[in-house]
Amino acid sequence: MYKKKDLSIDFLGIHLDSPFVLSAAPPTDELEIAYNGLKAGWAGVILKTTSVEGNPVELKYPMMSSFGPMHKKVVGLGNIDLISAYHIDEVERRVKALKETFPNKMIAASIMGATKEQWQTLVWRLKKAGADLIECSFSCPQGSMGEEPGKMLAQSVEATEKVTRWVKEAAGDTPVLIKITPQVTDIVEVAKAVKRGGADGITASNTVPSLLGIDIKTFEPYPNVFGKGAYSGLSGPAIKPLTLRTIAEIAKNVDIVISGNGGAFNWRDAVEFMAVGASNVQFCTLPMHYGFRTIRDLKDGLAHYLMDMGFNSPMDIVGKALPNIEPQEELPAPITKAEINEDKCIGCGLCYAACSDGGHLAIEWDSNKRRPHVNEDKCVGCAMCMQVCPVDAIRMKEKIDGQLHYFVEER
Amino acid sequence: MEEIEKTLTKEQALIEAERCLYCYDAPCEKACPAHVPIPEFIQSIRSGDLKGGREIIEEAHPLIESCGRICPEESFCQSACTRAQIDSPIKIRELHRYITDHTDPAENLELPPANKGKIAIIGGGPAGLACARELRRMGYEPVVFEKKQLGGVPAQEISPTRFPREIEQKEVKFLHQYFITDVKDGKVKSLSDIKGDYKAIFIATGLINELDLDIPGVSLSGVHHAREILRKVKAGNNSGLGKRIGVIGGGNVAVEVASVLMLEDPKRDVEVIYRRGLKELKAFKKEIEEAIDVGVTFQFLAIPKEIKGENGKVSGIVVTRAHLGEPDESGRRHPEPIPNSDFFIPLSDVVIAIGQKASDFFPEVEKNRKGLIKVNDDMMTSVKGVFAGGDIVRGASTVVESVADGKKAAKAIVKFLEGGE
Repeated sequence: MYKKKDLSIDFLGIHLDSPFVLSAAPPTDELEIAYNGLKAGWAGVILKTTSVEGNPVELKYPMMSSFGPMHKKVVGLGNIDLISAYHIDEVERRVKALKETFPNKMIAASIMGATKEQWQTLVWRLKKAGADLIECSFSCPQGSMGEEPGKMLAQSVEATEKVTRWVKEAAGDTPVLIKITPQVTDIVEVAKAVKRGGADGITASNTVPSLLGIDIKTFEPYPNVFGKGAYSGLSGPAIKPLTLRTIAEIAKNVDIVISGNGGAFNWRDAVEFMAVGASNVQFCTLPMHYGFRTIRDLKDGLAHYLMDMGFNSPMDIVGKALPNIEPQEELPAPITKAEINEDKCIGCGLCYAACSDGGHLAIEWDSNKRRPHVNEDKCVGCAMCMQVCPVDAIRMKEKIDGQLHYFVEER
Repeated sequence: MEEIEKTLTKEQALIEAERCLYCYDAPCEKACPAHVPIPEFIQSIRSGDLKGGREIIEEAHPLIESCGRICPEESFCQSACTRAQIDSPIKIRELHRYITDHTDPAENLELPPANKGKIAIIGGGPAGLACARELRRMGYEPVVFEKKQLGGVPAQEISPTRFPREIEQKEVKFLHQYFITDVKDGKVKSLSDIKGDYKAIFIATGLINELDLDIPGVSLSGVHHAREILRKVKAGNNSGLGKRIGVIGGGNVAVEVASVLMLEDPKRDVEVIYRRGLKELKAFKKEIEEAIDVGVTFQFLAIPKEIKGENGKVSGIVVTRAHLGEPDESGRRHPEPIPNSDFFIPLSDVVIAIGQKASDFFPEVEKNRKGLIKVNDDMMTSVKGVFAGGDIVRGASTVVESVADGKKAAKAIVKFLEGGE
């Protein structure tokens, strides 16, 4: 009964009815599930990474584990998943079937090879099957090309450029995305290599290598596969700040289209990804946790945000925050003081505790009235008090030459 | 009779614990008369160290099984909870109980040798036990005089549906084993009854007698006193009451005895007859809710006028309808009788629950007009070296307030004996 705002974008020449697509992961590994995702309203799918025949995929279960404070278990989700266990023949069939049913959705495929021949065969076959886009996983340990086992392809600048060139050579006018890992010394060098290799865009980025946890009674790791465990790829809200930085760093330094991926859990996160340079946003942990129905809030939230902000298209957001991101040494040097809103303060004393034991002893505590008071002579404006205030009663008042600016964190 | 309230599940406890803001200089802890470090034990729940949580509570409070179940949290810790300013206060008592239900009393105690001398403690209720434990922690040898059963009112009279016997007994047994040098069961009615070499005396007898209703018919067969009934049921006996019971009173004991009688025989009608209204009912919220839950009904604004009988046995009660006037000295609106509004409620039994009064024991010490013992800021009575606390000083109160008195008295006794602060 409500008129919906048009959220469509053009992504590398492909029409997306919203910037929200399902990434190459379990939600796109079964035809029926991918079908349900598109039907639920996601703008596209990137089918789970496939390889060529003769590469048996030995998945180990259980493969998922998670961590989080208290009952909120999934702040970080870890998996020891590999690529799809489905043969390329099957993936080809799926691309065709999905494209037939959903001609207006993006049907993309993700690939991973070991040799030039394998990479190019995969591209040709999927292109022929009708894939709208090819994403190449350069960020899975299995993509090492046998040179250095355990090392990811995208951890080598040279290999990244070389393989990108092979792929693009085979793909022709079909757009190619290279999915990189955040686990590198210099993400900009890798992104430049992708650009030199001729890819159309970059997926920034992937899960972060991690160890999810240890059972402190048995000393067995998580996920626990019969007492043993391996390092996991970490996804979910825990990695959002890492991804945000990865996207920003690439966008500021390399002129290339970016697909944001890793840690977005709601439309706000997606807006942030786009504000630092992503043109669309991939999701996996969110629908894996709560289901495909989450697309409604993503789209509605984005639509209302665009209207409130007076933007016409989601593309208006792209890169908006980049001019404000600067190296620490180039930031202005205001005189900053914490400012407590007495009306909002509930007297929990957490700001006092934080400033006393981890700050600058700049907050005084009236035990009878249960109210904190900022001693401006001592306050350096670090904003630690603001972090711990449960009711957002603290803001940072910044002053330069009589000009005022406030730091308010909205979550 | 089974316990009504269930302990929190792990998930409920964790979600509730996470709601706690972990206030600095925590107001809940200050509002607790025993000053249980609440944010600290909630942190133990968050981290999963329930044993640590128990140690934190136990250090501050000897009767933690009781308080986790029957403490009127809304009057103490919870009333001060900062979280209430955001949404609703933390269920502190339930979290406290989650710890006690999942841990045993810590036996890794480290106590100084008991060699500083004997202290006589008259009464083995919450105040007496708290005082005894604190004294033992400071090297004294507490000797408790208790004629009935250690544990006091919670042990003897609180309904097993709220405080099961085995839990109460486990707690008292633990205190007895580790903190009490000796228990004597002789009846002590005056200071001269205390024979032996005691360095100080702490009187914590509580309120022994029940108030009587001043209307015709109170001596009929079938008129009972509430605490008598509670003690009977708590001891595992049947109350022996009939099918239609009127409980007269408006306090916790009235509500409690009504619930117990209802639970004993759900086919009964149990009606609380009270002079004022629901708002004036001086019982804890949880108890009222539980009473309504088990089927107790309330006859508000009804002033008892006369208990009627047939052949010497109760047949019912005549009450006068009241309306609420101006607040009286209790701060609650006063019930005023409406002329020609008498009506009759047929009853098989009447239970009187209008309060308790002090005994005339210990004539040596100064008392107020209600017969309660007067003490100074250091809990000392008019007789040097004789201290008092709990209900015999404050009038009917709660376990945690009596515990606070016991703790305070122990400190004062040590200060009296050793000097200094």
